[in-house]
Amino acid sequence: MLTRGTLLYIAQRLALIVFTLIAVSFLVFITVHSLPGDAFESERVHGKALQLLLHEYGLDRPILVQYWSFLTNAIQGNLGVSFQIRGLPITPLVMRELSVSAELGGTALLITIGLGTTFGVLAALRQNTWVDYTLTSIAVVGYSVPSFVLAGLGVLIFSYWLPNVTNGVISYPAIWTGTYGTLVELSLPAIILGFYTSGQVTRITRAAMLEVLQQDYIRTARAKGLKSRVVTIRHALRNALIPVISILGPLVISIITGSVIIENIFGIPGLGKRFVESILSADYNITVAVFTVYALLIGIANLIVDLLYTVVDPRIRY
Amino acid sequence: MTDSILEVRNLSTHFFTDDGEVKAVRGVSFGVAPGETLGIVGESGCGKSVTAMSILGLVQRPGKVVAGEIMFKGSDLLKLSNEELRNIRGRDIAMIFQDPLSSMNPVLRVGYQIDEAMYAHDKIPKDQVKQRGIDLLKQVRVSDAERRINDFPHQFSGGMRQRAMIAMGLSNKPDLLIADEPTTALDVTVQAQILELLRDLNEQTGAAIILITHNLGVVAGLCKRVLVMYAGEIVEEGTVEQIFERPQHPYTWSLLRSVPRIDANRGHRLLSIEGLPPDLIDLPQGCKFNPRCPFRVERCFHESPPIEQVAPAQHAACWVTMERAYADMGAGTITDTSPGAASGVHPAGGKRAAEAEVPAAVAEAVND
Amino acid sequence: MATIATPVLEEYAGGTIAREQVGLWRDGFRRLRRNRLALIAVVYLSILLAIAIVAIFWTPYNPATILPNTLTYLPPTAQHLLGTDELGRDLLSRMMQGAQISLIVGVGTSAIVLTVGVVVGLIAGYFRGWVDGVISVFINIFYGIPGILVAIVLYLVLGRGLGNIMIAISATAWMDMARLVRGQAFSIREREYIEAARASGARSGKILFGHILPNSLGPIIVQATFVIPIAILTEAFLSYLGLGIPSPLASWGGIASEGYAALPLEPYMMLWPALALSLTLLAFNFLGDGLRDAFDPRQRR
Repeated sequence: MLTRGTLLYIAQRLALIVFTLIAVSFLVFITVHSLPGDAFESERVHGKALQLLLHEYGLDRPILVQYWSFLTNAIQGNLGVSFQIRGLPITPLVMRELSVSAELGGTALLITIGLGTTFGVLAALRQNTWVDYTLTSIAVVGYSVPSFVLAGLGVLIFSYWLPNVTNGVISYPAIWTGTYGTLVELSLPAIILGFYTSGQVTRITRAAMLEVLQQDYIRTARAKGLKSRVVTIRHALRNALIPVISILGPLVISIITGSVIIENIFGIPGLGKRFVESILSADYNITVAVFTVYALLIGIANLIVDLLYTVVDPRIRY
Repeated sequence: MTDSILEVRNLSTHFFTDDGEVKAVRGVSFGVAPGETLGIVGESGCGKSVTAMSILGLVQRPGKVVAGEIMFKGSDLLKLSNEELRNIRGRDIAMIFQDPLSSMNPVLRVGYQIDEAMYAHDKIPKDQVKQRGIDLLKQVRVSDAERRINDFPHQFSGGMRQRAMIAMGLSNKPDLLIADEPTTALDVTVQAQILELLRDLNEQTGAAIILITHNLGVVAGLCKRVLVMYAGEIVEEGTVEQIFERPQHPYTWSLLRSVPRIDANRGHRLLSIEGLPPDLIDLPQGCKFNPRCPFRVERCFHESPPIEQVAPAQHAACWVTMERAYADMGAGTITDTSPGAASGVHPAGGKRAAEAEVPAAVAEAVND
Repeated sequence: MATIATPVLEEYAGGTIAREQVGLWRDGFRRLRRNRLALIAVVYLSILLAIAIVAIFWTPYNPATILPNTLTYLPPTAQHLLGTDELGRDLLSRMMQGAQISLIVGVGTSAIVLTVGVVVGLIAGYFRGWVDGVISVFINIFYGIPGILVAIVLYLVLGRGLGNIMIAISATAWMDMARLVRGQAFSIREREYIEAARASGARSGKILFGHILPNSLGPIIVQATFVIPIAILTEAFLSYLGLGIPSPLASWGGIASEGYAALPLEPYMMLWPALALSLTLLAFNFLGDGLRDAFDPRQRR
């Protein structure tokens, strides 16, 4: 399966990712550095002291030079240092928080896909029955009700009305201990995030399944005398999953977007929370770094999805 | 018909749609003898495919078989449970369809799809399935079968795909193979090859074949006996020679006259059948062909003719029949085939009413 | 085989294309009317619009005024139908103002996305060549960036304000539309009547707007409808995080954020914006679904 064409394709895509990272980081860099005021305003540093500080951080150089130095450092893995917390290297910070976000996001992704495909298939098989209407409604609620509403609801239910169930593990506001969240602590935020994006998956799966069930080859399969379950799983589902894979890319983006919100609501020390904090505290090096990391994640996710296509659909080859 | 393997009696299948009850198949009866090649001919929408699907219980909502019996090996297929029907599908009666590309699952290998038909039933011992799959591909004349068996459908050409479908159909050595427009989606040259293949397979395996098509030429190439359907009913049946040389139903006759022939003289006008097939929700009274028939008589407007013998082994459903049309109405030298032109009979209201016969669907579309 | 020679039908065949066009709209609206969910959505949105319009002229209290001698965090009372917020401001008035903001942001963003996306998409899809190449590369690079991140950054640069937030949100959203329109332009371009138009000397602009645009309107309208709830949601997110519409303007997201902090004390404050947002988003989504089902060319007849 790893043909020359595929390897070429991967190489092209990686090049595109690099190009994207440069473009994105450049744009963000320029943008944040053009914001009025500078990084140290809140510190009330003036005059000579300010000059020294700016010089130390290299902020008195022309912007392109600054960017260049950022880029060269970044390639070597050094994403710069924070303004707010003097000298704190960004790279390890981002890496740690990335793992937290990844854990949250990964769990949510599993929930999304699991819930979404199951609901979608069931709804399609029982089209126009109460099963279908219920599941579809749940899906619509999922992607219409804002996640912070669901979060609020979740907190309300689990922290206030049913605290015994969770033994106060899910606390409000979450008191984080600075290490990776355990599965239980992450469960509520992950469930909410997962549920929120699962609505899209349910709709697509249902639509895809309905369309596949109309196809001629399903008729052939029945005419061959195959068992109903075999027809559904082996023939219908395998084909219906193809469009689902096509939205995996946007789904990852949805989860990233959602995680920004969820992390901020629950105080989870992930990239999303860091991003918002960096904006609010004008710690722009971090903003650029986080943005770039997100872009990298998405680029790789999209590449994996496209490669997944070739595994699932033999008609697609690069 | 004694010792026929399939005997359809009075089959009626209707579709219960939002727009009304579509009476797609009404009172169809015929039989298939072992090893026979039977053709079912008719326009799109005449009910031939629905008849075939009804035999195997493949009619989907909102369609439903509402009446009739289908006798196969002593049981009425319409009375069997889903599980029992499933045992017959693909095993004793097999069906192949029109478009081989969309009829095969694009993500599964061809060999897999052929083999799964055999694994699903227990007629072929499990350890012989894989080899038989390859042998079947060879039998349907796919070259390089050992390699090709592992290809995906999109890697086959159109003709090869249809051959693979035939292999799939014959894999369990069925008594009957139903082929629904197997050549329609193929090039003309490939069509001929497929028909020849079907003919040879019929001789080799002894499986009976029902060939459904709208193409008269295809029928002539393969079938011994022919049924002609129109608007959900059988209007004529007979041997290939009888149908082609001495058609008795005006519809069959008109069909044959509208096919361009190489040996016709240049000045010979291509005759067409005016009008459209009737609305299957709101059927006209009497003979369903009367709004378009050049030879209709008064009785045709009121009573639907039963199918009756008109010659040894030939039956037609017509009050007039071509014999009389030739004798009394000058069918031999006819130039105007508009409805009622030869017989001079029109419904009450005269020529105007003839225009009113244009089906409601068209009138609505025009006024839109 | 049977051919259709009736003169009546020939006339029909000649007028087919023009008639198909009319048929699509009439057909679509008929089907839309039958879709009950979409109808309910339209009713709800009309009510919402009415409230928003009324709010221009009148609200029970001034949404920004901290009322003297009024308790904070009041539950619904006769005087304050929805209660009061943490500063003693009337929630009903604030919610009404929030309705204005959400609708303006939603529809406004959609309008921007529509304009920019359609123009760019048409140009890329029709002219192809290097123009399309440049545009496509640009879109492909930025396609994967989460809109919310861009919106946050851009919004800060532009400064807070209603107009700016619309620009910030549409900054990534237009790309989806451009892609859609480009795809449409590509396929419609190949159809024969375009060749016929070009052969008879029609200028590019005329073709673009006279033929391609009308024929792709269906999916475009559906897409534009779906942008609205996304925009409203993004604005609510931003306001919730404190990065959005500035106080004292009342955005539903902002009210919700303040309400979250008060959740143990007073659930109502979060309940109203939660309800309002959920219903509004649901309504737009149902409407979009309904439009999509109604105008899907594949389902015609």
